[in-house]
Amino acid sequence: MSNESKRTRHALNRRDFLKVSSGCMAGVAGVPMLSVSSPALGATPTSAYPVMEVARLSELKPGTTIPFAYPGPSSPALLMRLPEAARDGVGKDSTIVAFSILCTHKGCPVSYKAEQGMLICPCHWSTFDPAKGGDLIIGQASSSLPRIELRIEGDKVQAVGVEGLIYGHHTNIL
Amino acid sequence: MRNTPPLPPVKARRYTTVCQFCVVGCGYKVYKWPQGRDGGPKAANNAFGLDFTRPQPPMAGEWIAPNMHTQVVDRDGSRHNVVIVPDRACVVNKGLSSVRGAGLAQTLYSPERATRARLTQPLLDQGDGQKPVGWDEASDLGARVLKAIIDRWGPDAVGMKFFDHGGGGGGFENNWAVGRFFFTGVGTRTASIHNRPAYNSEVHAAGDAGLVPLTNSYLDAQLADTILVVGANPYETQTNYFLEHMVPNLNGTSMGLKQATFDGEPVDRGRMIIVDPRRTMTVATAETAAGRDRVLHLQIEPGTDIALLNAIGRLVLEYRWHDVAFMRERTEWQTFEAFQRSTLAVDRPLEQMLEDAVRVTGVTREQIETAARWIAEPKAPGIRRRTLLHYEKGLIWGLKNYQNIAAIVGLGLLTGNVGKPGTGISRLGGHQEAYVRPPYPGRRPALNVDEAVRRGEVKAFWVGGCNPVLTTLRAEALEQSLVERGEPVRRALAATRGRPAGQRIPAIVDALKAGGMFLIAQDIYPTATTRHAHLVLSAAQWGEMNLTSINGERRLRLYERFMDPPGEAIPDWAIMARFAHRLRELYLQDRNPLAANRFLDFDWKSDEDVFIDARYQFKGTNTDPMEGYAGITYDLLRKLGTDGIQTPTRLVNRIPVGTVRMHEDGHFYTSTGKARFIPAPRPWPGYAAKVESQRKRYRFWINNGRVNHLWQTLYHHRYLPFYQGRYPMPCLEMHPEDATELGIGPGDRVEISNDMGKVEAMAYPSDAVKRGHTFLLFGQPRGAAGNLVPDHVDPKTTIPSYKQAWADVKRLGPPPEDVKGVSFRPRNVAS
Repeated sequence: MSNESKRTRHALNRRDFLKVSSGCMAGVAGVPMLSVSSPALGATPTSAYPVMEVARLSELKPGTTIPFAYPGPSSPALLMRLPEAARDGVGKDSTIVAFSILCTHKGCPVSYKAEQGMLICPCHWSTFDPAKGGDLIIGQASSSLPRIELRIEGDKVQAVGVEGLIYGHHTNIL
Repeated sequence: MRNTPPLPPVKARRYTTVCQFCVVGCGYKVYKWPQGRDGGPKAANNAFGLDFTRPQPPMAGEWIAPNMHTQVVDRDGSRHNVVIVPDRACVVNKGLSSVRGAGLAQTLYSPERATRARLTQPLLDQGDGQKPVGWDEASDLGARVLKAIIDRWGPDAVGMKFFDHGGGGGGFENNWAVGRFFFTGVGTRTASIHNRPAYNSEVHAAGDAGLVPLTNSYLDAQLADTILVVGANPYETQTNYFLEHMVPNLNGTSMGLKQATFDGEPVDRGRMIIVDPRRTMTVATAETAAGRDRVLHLQIEPGTDIALLNAIGRLVLEYRWHDVAFMRERTEWQTFEAFQRSTLAVDRPLEQMLEDAVRVTGVTREQIETAARWIAEPKAPGIRRRTLLHYEKGLIWGLKNYQNIAAIVGLGLLTGNVGKPGTGISRLGGHQEAYVRPPYPGRRPALNVDEAVRRGEVKAFWVGGCNPVLTTLRAEALEQSLVERGEPVRRALAATRGRPAGQRIPAIVDALKAGGMFLIAQDIYPTATTRHAHLVLSAAQWGEMNLTSINGERRLRLYERFMDPPGEAIPDWAIMARFAHRLRELYLQDRNPLAANRFLDFDWKSDEDVFIDARYQFKGTNTDPMEGYAGITYDLLRKLGTDGIQTPTRLVNRIPVGTVRMHEDGHFYTSTGKARFIPAPRPWPGYAAKVESQRKRYRFWINNGRVNHLWQTLYHHRYLPFYQGRYPMPCLEMHPEDATELGIGPGDRVEISNDMGKVEAMAYPSDAVKRGHTFLLFGQPRGAAGNLVPDHVDPKTTIPSYKQAWADVKRLGPPPEDVKGVSFRPRNVAS
């Protein structure tokens, strides 16, 4: 399987993305995993997170966003290349970040507003700053958006773990 | 906080509670179980009965966010998990948490987390710092000092500044005990309420008009045609009232309810008018929910609400949209005639009055017309619009407290908007309420206690559950008084160390005669105020005792005790009882039974004893004030859960019946039973002299208040990383162009200074404020907004104009280390 086809399989288009996140997210079987690693750095220590390719570094222009699901099919996430360096960003200029898009208030999918540089929840308007680790700017969530831990392997941008608890889960890997 | 909170087992103990923070009082459920006995993800293995092997769905699911779990240790050493989640069954919040409520578990005492900072035992400062003492020693010495002062200088030499609220700060139980101690026990008039320098209502004008402060039910926000919000920011500070009751009206979700309630009456999605000098998140979210064409934001100049409200009232009158039938039946008509002549200036040409209002407020004529139309234009011939009028600190602490409140009450009475579904004239409220006390022995306007402290008239000052060093007006001067006047007493305590308490009193009295003041501070944490105290008393908090309170729609619930207080901390009522007992003993030893009997009847054995004792002052008739709770017991409240019952209650066949909406029976609390308009001399009184001199001298208006994440003085939140990390120091919102002119960037350290004092803050450039305006987070321990507030109070009410400070701003340097990680993205974007 080429890297490109892997990316396509894991990255959801926007319609799928909303479908996944607005319905009951269980039951999407067979999420492809490239491999299962030992516990990722910074992740919940008892869980084993998969390593998953999310994007090609060379294709990530500033402003690019790529929806995907991680660490399982019920956990929609968004990879962003921001116009500025971000806390815990990866890549040469530290601009690449990814977050679970399930709002940590009531689980509605947040969307990225490039103009304001923030992720906004449509249900109760919690807003999050992707350049500051997904921290809550204002709103009713009680934790930052879970950050998908990324690493660069050559031209590959890989998801390797999650920092924070994803909405609806009692552990990130069920 | 663990990344993966455990699930409560089926056998977890369950408790009902209500959030300890804002006035809305959202219902929560508490689960507690011994560590090591966690539940499992299968539905049969956890207390929720839900399948956690699959993710919980958005909105409908049950999710334990990491901040909703903690671990506690009870006094017997047993260790427990505690999970606190919002209650779906509660009519107030329907399962929604606010950012503050979702962190309730984090506020609990734990020896392993930062909340270990709690005060766990009484402390006494004898010149070598505050050191632990036992309760007997603390109450013996404290009572002897109080007795010596009362006997020598009279009861008014004992000053107090105490909580008067519900929720985490008080409850019926603690308020009753405090009131009994100071008013019928000590008998002092030198009393003040936690956030102000005197013992007074913040809405005397509403009371004089015959209205209670909280007239409506939250349901009315779903039914109103128009919601008027003056000087408030409910998305941030009355969160789930806004999200669960106002937003459904704005976005049309409550249309079915409206149709069912108002059969045959035209109904539509709600409109909202927001009077606020800032473009807040409330404005942004209301526009997103309702559409921009159904939200009117009136971005007034500081303190000019009164001119705006009176201009709207005048237009209502000109267009003949006033409710003549209501006024004839339910108001004293002659007060309306006086009101229209003076407050609404009907003898002046309309155009002249409106031109004045436009010039003063900065709001356009068209906007004033729209506001009048949305508030009062009939929906159809003969069918009045239903408008819910809400106000809070922007109006209460604005230009002239009494006239401000009289203006909004007048507009509400003029348009007949009280005592009917979809209407009301109410405070939005800050904290919850639980005002149950014997009458204050003083008169109106109440004595200014801060000034009495500064003048040396107060010989003992007892501060309970509040932190005036951070929050009062001219705060630096008050702190200076505490330092200077505390020192002679500290020297007397050092000189008499080791002697029996009775033998120490002459030296302490000498110190008081020489200008000293004995400071007692009663709290749950060390604060900027407690650090100056000679005697520190450690109180129990929410969750560590049973308490009862009402929310912004007078909904009374039981907040159950589910854990022990730390160390030797005890409930506030028990502290007051200890001192009362000791004072009684001392007066009996003195063969003074008259004075001893003032401290009788403090023999409560439980939280409910105090609750029931306080209840006996209410008759259970329609003459009870809004807190009246005739016939209510803890058992009944346990059965009623987080829905509780709306006060006042009355007894029908010995069964307590609640009150959904006040004044629905047409009764108002005046001698005639009719409501009164409160006339003002003119539509716009202008700024007070002290305020005007600051306004002319300094460049920036320093509006100040709360933000979404934080509660009051951050007494809890300063110890909780998620909250403290967002605002590690006070933020100062200022217009980006003003910031650029002064070379100030996001997060830069700035100094705000005027003739009262100075404050350091982090700059937060934002288009929420107009040029020349700023907004400063109040009550942050690293910078007291009160330092900038002049000591002007409304002479009619002794209420300060906290929102009326002007100052200069300058850059001190780049962002401090702990500010570098803070986001400075806009706080008012919703789409």
